[in-house]
Amino acid sequence: MNTLMNIDPWSFLDDLLGAPSRTFRAVRARAAGRFPPVNVLLDDNAIVIDLELPGKTAKDVDLTLEAQAVVIADRPTETADAETGKVTTARPAWSRRLELPFRVDADKANAKFTNGILRIELPKADAPGVRRISIAG
Amino acid sequence: MNVEEKFTVPAATLVEKPEEYTLTVELPGIGKEDAELHMDGRTLTLKTHAKYQNPAGFRVVAAEFERSNYAMSVDLPEMADPSALSAKLENGILTVSVKKRPETQAKKIEIL
Repeated sequence: MNTLMNIDPWSFLDDLLGAPSRTFRAVRARAAGRFPPVNVLLDDNAIVIDLELPGKTAKDVDLTLEAQAVVIADRPTETADAETGKVTTARPAWSRRLELPFRVDADKANAKFTNGILRIELPKADAPGVRRISIAG
Repeated sequence: MNVEEKFTVPAATLVEKPEEYTLTVELPGIGKEDAELHMDGRTLTLKTHAKYQNPAGFRVVAAEFERSNYAMSVDLPEMADPSALSAKLENGILTVSVKKRPETQAKKIEIL
C-alpha cells in the first residue's frame, strides 16, 4: 500500500539532477531528520558547540577545523569486497559546516563525547591574525 | 522547594524477536546514574533526572535541541515476562530486553 508515509518527497531531485548532488543530499538528510541538531554557545573567549548524536562515539564522527569554520561529518564507512578485496568508501551520510565568529586556536581545541552528546570547545586564538610588517629601507 | 519538572517523551522503538522484545530509547545527554526504570505489572516506566546547565557566562546563539529530561511509560506485550528484564544505557541509547514467557514459545508438535 502506497501511503503518504512511504513516499520519499525528495526522490524527484535525484531524477532531476541525474546524480545525487551534495547540496541536495544535505537537504534530504535534514528533511528526513538525519541531520544532527546543534546547540551553539558563545562568550568573548570561546565557542562551545554541542551536537546531539545518540548512539555515536568518537570513531563515528570526523571533525575538521578550517581557518574560521568547523566541519563536522559522519565518518564514511569502508567496506571491503569479499571476493576482489577492493575497498569502497561510502559517502558520509551528513556533514555540517559552521562558520565561526572569530579565529580559534586549533591547538587548544577540544572535543569529547558524553552520553551521546558531542561537545566541541574552541578557544579564541590569542593572535588576531593581524601582524605589523616593518618596511625596510 | 517543589519545582515543576519538564519532561520530553523520547524516541523509542519496540522490536519483537523470536524469544524476546527489545526496547530501544534515545536518551542523548543522559548517563546511567540519571535514569530510573520501574516495572509495575506489565507497565515499564522511565524517568530521567539529569541536571544539565549551560556553561556559565555563555550566551546561546543557536538552539536546535533541548537538554531536557525524559519520561515515558510502555505497556509490555502479554507474552513478555517482566521478571526476565535487563537494561543497559550506553552512549545515550537505552536498550531494554524482556524475555518472552517460556509457555508462549512456539512448539513443534509431532504428528503421530
